[in-house]
Amino acid sequence: MGKGRENQVEIMDEINIVRAVIEEGYQISPLAVELIKSSNSPDSLLKYVLSTVDDCVFVIEPEHIDLKGFEASRAVSEVASGSSSEIVSRMPSDSASSPALRPVDHEMARILNPLSNNLKETVLVSSVESEPASTLGVPDSNPETDSDILSSREPTLDFIANPVAKSVADPVPNSTNESGSSSFVTASTANSARGSLSSSVKSSLSSGGTERQASSFFGQAGSPSLSASNHVSRTNSLFSNPGNAFPSRPRNEGIRHLSGRNPVTVISDITGHSTCVGEYMQFVQYFRDRYSRLSEILRSRMNARPIESLKRRSFRRGSDGGNEELSIIGMVSDISSTNNGHKILSLEDPTGSFSVLIRNSDKELFELASRLLLDEVIGVTGSVTNDGNLMMATKILQPDVPNSVQRRTGSHGKAVLISDVHVGSSQFLEDAWLDFLDFLKGESDSEEMREVASQVRYLVVAGDLVDGIGIYPDQEMELDILDVYEQYRKAAEYFREVPEHIRVIISPGNHDAVRQAEPQPALPERICVDFPENVTFVGNPALVDLDGVRILIYHGRSIDDLVASVPGVSYQEPAGAVLEMLKRRHLAPTYGSRVSISPEKKDYFIIDPVPDIIHTGHVHTLGVQRYKNVLLVNSGTWQAQTEFQKRVNLMPVPARVPVVDLADFDVKILSFD
Amino acid sequence: MGETIASEEMHEYFDRLEARLKEAIEIANRARARGGDPKPVVEIPLAKDLADRVENLIGVQGVAAKIRELETKMSREEAALEIGRQVAEGMVGSFPTKKDAVEAAIRVSMATLTEGVVAAPIEGIDKVDLGKNDDGSQYIRIFYSGPIRSAGGTAQALSVLVGDYVRRGIGIDRYKPREEEVERYVEEILLYKRVASLQYTPSEDEIRLIVRNCPVCIDGDPTEEAEVEGHRDLERIGTNRVRGGMCLVLAEGLALKAPKVKKHVNKLKMDGWDWLETLIGGAKSGGSAEDEQKNKIKPKDKYIRDLIAGRPVFSHPSRPGGFRLRYGRSRNTSFASAGISPASMVLLDDFITNGTQLKVERPGKAAAMSAVDSIEGPTVRLFSGDLIRIDNIKEAYELRPQVEVIVDIGEILINYGDFLENNHPLMPSPYVFEWWRYDYEAACPEMIPEEELKNPSVTLALRLAGEYNVPLHPKFTYLWHDINRNEFEALRRFVVEKGIFLKGELDGEGILKLPLEVSVEENIKPVLEKLLVLHRVKEGEILIEEALPFILCLGLDNSLREKASMPDTDNMVEAAGVLSRFKVYPRAPSRIGARMGRPEKSDLRKMSPAAQVLFPINNAGGMTRNLVSASDYTSCMNAKIGEIEVELGLRECPACGKETYFWRCECGEFTNPKLSCPRCKIDVRGAETCPKCGRKPTSVANVKLDFRSIYKQAFENIGEREKMDLIKGVKRLMNGQMTPEPFEKGILRAKHDVYIFKDGTVRYDMSDIPLTHIRADELGITAAKLRELGYIEDIYGKSLERDDQVVCLKVQDLVISYDGGEYMLRTAKYVDDLLVKYYKVEPYYNAETIQDLVGALLIGLAPHTSAGVLGRLIGFTKASVGYAHPFFHASKRRNCDGDEDCIMLLMDGILNFSRSYLPDKRGGKMDAPLVLTTRIDPKEVDKEAHNIDVPARYPLEFYRATEEIKNPTEIESIMDLISSRLGTPEQYEHFMFTHDTSDIAAGPLNSSYKTLGSMIEKMEAQLSLASRIRAVDAPDVAERVLKSHFLPDLIGNLRSFSRQRMRCIKCGEKFRRPPLTGACPKCGGNVVLTVHEGAVRKYLEISKEIGERYGVSSYTRQRIELLDYDICSLFENHKVKQLGLSDFMSGSAR
Repeated sequence: MGKGRENQVEIMDEINIVRAVIEEGYQISPLAVELIKSSNSPDSLLKYVLSTVDDCVFVIEPEHIDLKGFEASRAVSEVASGSSSEIVSRMPSDSASSPALRPVDHEMARILNPLSNNLKETVLVSSVESEPASTLGVPDSNPETDSDILSSREPTLDFIANPVAKSVADPVPNSTNESGSSSFVTASTANSARGSLSSSVKSSLSSGGTERQASSFFGQAGSPSLSASNHVSRTNSLFSNPGNAFPSRPRNEGIRHLSGRNPVTVISDITGHSTCVGEYMQFVQYFRDRYSRLSEILRSRMNARPIESLKRRSFRRGSDGGNEELSIIGMVSDISSTNNGHKILSLEDPTGSFSVLIRNSDKELFELASRLLLDEVIGVTGSVTNDGNLMMATKILQPDVPNSVQRRTGSHGKAVLISDVHVGSSQFLEDAWLDFLDFLKGESDSEEMREVASQVRYLVVAGDLVDGIGIYPDQEMELDILDVYEQYRKAAEYFREVPEHIRVIISPGNHDAVRQAEPQPALPERICVDFPENVTFVGNPALVDLDGVRILIYHGRSIDDLVASVPGVSYQEPAGAVLEMLKRRHLAPTYGSRVSISPEKKDYFIIDPVPDIIHTGHVHTLGVQRYKNVLLVNSGTWQAQTEFQKRVNLMPVPARVPVVDLADFDVKILSFD
Repeated sequence: MGETIASEEMHEYFDRLEARLKEAIEIANRARARGGDPKPVVEIPLAKDLADRVENLIGVQGVAAKIRELETKMSREEAALEIGRQVAEGMVGSFPTKKDAVEAAIRVSMATLTEGVVAAPIEGIDKVDLGKNDDGSQYIRIFYSGPIRSAGGTAQALSVLVGDYVRRGIGIDRYKPREEEVERYVEEILLYKRVASLQYTPSEDEIRLIVRNCPVCIDGDPTEEAEVEGHRDLERIGTNRVRGGMCLVLAEGLALKAPKVKKHVNKLKMDGWDWLETLIGGAKSGGSAEDEQKNKIKPKDKYIRDLIAGRPVFSHPSRPGGFRLRYGRSRNTSFASAGISPASMVLLDDFITNGTQLKVERPGKAAAMSAVDSIEGPTVRLFSGDLIRIDNIKEAYELRPQVEVIVDIGEILINYGDFLENNHPLMPSPYVFEWWRYDYEAACPEMIPEEELKNPSVTLALRLAGEYNVPLHPKFTYLWHDINRNEFEALRRFVVEKGIFLKGELDGEGILKLPLEVSVEENIKPVLEKLLVLHRVKEGEILIEEALPFILCLGLDNSLREKASMPDTDNMVEAAGVLSRFKVYPRAPSRIGARMGRPEKSDLRKMSPAAQVLFPINNAGGMTRNLVSASDYTSCMNAKIGEIEVELGLRECPACGKETYFWRCECGEFTNPKLSCPRCKIDVRGAETCPKCGRKPTSVANVKLDFRSIYKQAFENIGEREKMDLIKGVKRLMNGQMTPEPFEKGILRAKHDVYIFKDGTVRYDMSDIPLTHIRADELGITAAKLRELGYIEDIYGKSLERDDQVVCLKVQDLVISYDGGEYMLRTAKYVDDLLVKYYKVEPYYNAETIQDLVGALLIGLAPHTSAGVLGRLIGFTKASVGYAHPFFHASKRRNCDGDEDCIMLLMDGILNFSRSYLPDKRGGKMDAPLVLTTRIDPKEVDKEAHNIDVPARYPLEFYRATEEIKNPTEIESIMDLISSRLGTPEQYEHFMFTHDTSDIAAGPLNSSYKTLGSMIEKMEAQLSLASRIRAVDAPDVAERVLKSHFLPDLIGNLRSFSRQRMRCIKCGEKFRRPPLTGACPKCGGNVVLTVHEGAVRKYLEISKEIGERYGVSSYTRQRIELLDYDICSLFENHKVKQLGLSDFMSGSAR
């Protein structure tokens, strides 16, 4: 960049190219930059390259730039230009993750399908490697979609292909979009992937169908007719972006599926997919992804305009004397109070930022505003003052869980949720823990317990399996096992006692031997090898499907932030903090406080799709709540009160175990002290 | 004021200083009357005594007179409480409300307690408020803030007592805390301990006890970012963040100083403080002091708990081979500074030099080092096998490359007063010459010359011991206590079997020969080394010279035959005594562990970024804030050249009505701020608040300033040519009125390359070192010059004629480093230029060389204080420190344990300082000369200085007392202390010292810590030194450095990477998180990270390597391993790692 001034224009180009590439999580060699620059339309070429380049590539070299394919795609896009390109460009936004299917989406999908098919053929002729949809340069605003899952080309070792036959009979009606998308998928893996999913849907349907009718709905009023709508909502929330039929970029992680009596499908997990190399643009991209995905959810419920457009308008009073109401969607970048006690929010979108005033006279709104967190994404409706500098809010909208999401079909059996075992700590309650293991083995004294134990299919550990080392100063004073690997070997020993048929899922926490920055990948191989076959390691957070029940596992570091900033949220009722996460559809909204983040291409903290259960830990207290058909569980701990907890006056709740009935989501708390 | 009690000579000295001060102020007043300063007169009020300072600092009229009156009747502390009561009750001063009176009362009282020097009374108490108890009664809340720290524990604690004392007088109830509030205090103080640090952390129950019973509510502003996790949003506590001031007052004040508070409570007969009894009773139970009372000194490892990379450990706690304690005082030690041989400095790889702070095991926490060459240097083993002691610095430099191991790092000279000040039991004194001399004098009637006594021959030593039963001379006393019985016996046997004793020509000069190879094999040589029996190695033999006393102590005769059998004792000192039939005393019973604290300092003060004039230019001058380029600045293509947009206060001339931004109008009248309401934009003439909306009006506005013409005009005014490259301004003014300094000052400062501090003065910082006696020849001046300055006779009462005569330093005379002298010379030239060219009066200094500055008046000023002290420059030193009389340091409330403070030229201070420049924020008034103390009264300096001992020799009783590990207070009466001289003319004069030094500045010029480059280099040097010193456990050092420095650094940086702020490289704007647009929303510039991978990884490799090399604990090595894994996981693209596998997979799939 230190070249002479005469090259200014060129240099700018170079920078733009490099920046665009970095934004997408790649790096680029100078030769490749030259090549792109030398093209007669570097812009579109760059787009093309970025959309077609293979996932495994890290540094884009000239050989990754497929000029022929590009030429061909240009020819095609010229044919398809005009109306279709407009539609395509609007696609992602319109296909917002609104759980309710909107007719327009179907329409669009239908319009687009043939077109895309044509495209595919054309392109395939000229270039085998290019992806049809990508050639159109669809902006990737919804990277994590069902279609992505389906079309994933990531070779996943655990993948077990299901009979292709299953995919023929699509059990889910009313899913035009889905069939549309599947028509794109060329590889057989995709079919089998879908097959596996559909089959799980099917099985859960058959097993839970009748129970579902009978079961109560946790006091959720207004759950209308069941069977059909359940189908729909289930489909919707699983394939949370129903309209987005395009496999926009085949870059998302593959799902891992473990079949067997108690199958597990890992739907979303950072493990093996971390792309952070510590550059500024990655941070930008991380927040842009958050904004775009959360704003899509809101966009389906409000008609918002870009923030920049507010500044350009003149806001003279309309003829009717009142100010026009407008809406914007933005990420909260600052919250302050005026001298008169009003609140001022600074909202930001990728076009600019704007200040929003919340008057303290509007009690309800003010109350809501005082619970807002930095960096959450909200929609605001209001009128802009005459000078065009401030919006007076009348309504604030959080992404939240739509009321239309209804309880999903359950499965059968039980899942045991625990966290914060802290093996190795001198405060680890080994006796209680051994009692718990006995329970799992079906060796409890009470008949009732043995009965429960016999139904257990899953054991989920939400982080802090061991106490770790060096987590806080002078930790060695409070450790029984000073060697961290020894701690894990001890833990493995315990888990070998868990009956083989119980599928164990272990996600790491801040005490575990993985990176502290979240999302955290699963525990390293070196540690995993000591554990028995029935243990599956996932990252933190991780979205996992347990034979038809989707559970979002998150250790819960952000609960500390929420307790500190949201009035009424306390360590005593940790599920309240999880509820706040759910309202924001984000596990750790505030950046720069207690949660360390790794800026990934995708914001793994976003809660989308809405799971059936959110399972957290970290704060060592027990809490169970339900919110709009989502079960929120913060499991307690197996560690007695530590010195630190004594100081902050926190009473842990050790040796209590929530057991969730996978059929009706009923929760029982078992006690082992 | 109280009359100064001093000799005629001292009176003359003070009068002379004051006369010159007056003269200088007259010149400055004349000058300022012509310039554009905020006021036409000097703005530093003079204070002759404490009472003056208090009144000037707090600004309550009549306080000074009252304090003087009270001081005649009662002690300082009582007077402080009494004056507080009188202010609160309105007997002194007048206040609009009760609250204001209480507030002023507490401030005045506290200022009196702190000698009116520190800023704590003005900056440390934010406000005093009244709260409401649940029963409806009122209570006092004192809001402490961070700077309260500078008041010290006692004053902090007493300020609470004052609060209670005054509230009673005016009928306000006590504070009745709610239970939740009590618990909040507990959590908050323990949290503060973690995020900041506390000298003393009270137990939870102690905190509860204090809060429940303290009659005044100790409150405070939030000072830390940290928030409490439980006990949030309490009604009567305004913040969830940690209130640092409150924590300090409660923990380091009330809890730690409870006995002192109790004393005053008893004296004043106040009720409601009985709970202090419980606090004092509870605190005592644990105490390690008790053990030490029982004749036991235990090693203390506190000083090495937090090791920092690059700052070496010189000795582990109380370990043989570490510093050997020697009692005494040299003219450049005492007052928390200690002396070591310059040879030790050199052999410890130059890490220590004059002024370097050492964290020591005892008696205090830290001490600054001074070179004292009359004490013993280190004993080393050379690669040749020789064991030699090196006392001489030249020899030290010569032999340094040959040193294999430093067996003993030498003596450390600590004076009795430091033990007294720290209330540390006296550790057993080694048997040293000073002590031996008493024993010799008592027993031997012979007159033997001093030199011979100090360094006796074997013959003399044995004759004295034999004939007069004088104990064996220290020169021939070995460290018998450092070996055990087995070693003793093995050595004895070995000497009998293998030794050959060659009697010399002269009687007693015999040499003992031992075969080298065998003695190494049989571990005899290490025993000799432990004993510090010096020897040389030649042709396969160990040669011990002057060996007869050693042979006798082994119980052998001069034919190396056993003449006595081994006594039945495990005490080897006793054994040596019994075997030799001499009195043998322990040679090194007390060892002092030490590590490096911080390096010495001698450097000009620069703000960061540095500035030469308080003139705001926003971003117009680029990142260097260059006013020269600001004069050519254009904001856009067709903007006016040199027009810059800055925040300035609008001012108005009351005479001609002209608007301006300067303190003085062109017509000569002083201007007033032109206030307007920031919201309603209306002029608010003189009103306190806006008549329309009630807001506080301001004069500050963003203005377009035609800087170019100001620039040109200024050059013209002072007749300088516009050929400067760089004049550094500031981005934004910090003072409340936002009015800049006259720009001319900046031009002249840039011309002479001097920089200013926030108040417009030029300063030079130096480490404080005490000095009580000087010689002209070591200060770069002559005896004649000293006579000129009022020095008449040397310490022996002889007329001062030669350059090498030692004279007693006068209390306000200073010796500064040569570098400081050069900077002061530049400053003097700048001041002269300023006087001539800007103020158009005659020059003052007329200095061409630094010699011309000898005799110039200076102002000494310490951080956290607000009172300068008048000083006089009398000489220069090559050491990087500032030498001054301990009283001078004490009058700034500094001791010499490694603190540093600054000097400025008097004329610079009085010409350029203005209160109006001081930042309008908390702490802004600290470190500014708000008053100037003109005369040092030893009674009014920090009491610590009263504990300095000044005799020429410690009495024998002292050495006896150390044997019994007595408390130093028990023998206070027999030691010649300052405190016993107070109130007599002797308080200023006729001080002595026990150990002389030939050169106060001997030793390396700068600590290696400063000369070594990167942290890694320093760390390598630290570890290499550690492995060479016998008293240091190198693997332990490595482990501690990893644990307390590198690992926290790695963890901290890793964490801050993942939570980092972003920064715009163009305008410097900071962002909590990246803007979604990616670019800076303010200026469109590129935004970058503030923490990069490099910063995170910085210490990773070295940590891994050191962990391996020194075999640190596996726990620590695992921590490093996990961090390595964490860092890789964060900064490596996992997908790249999978490349091989996925390539293969995707290939086969297609």
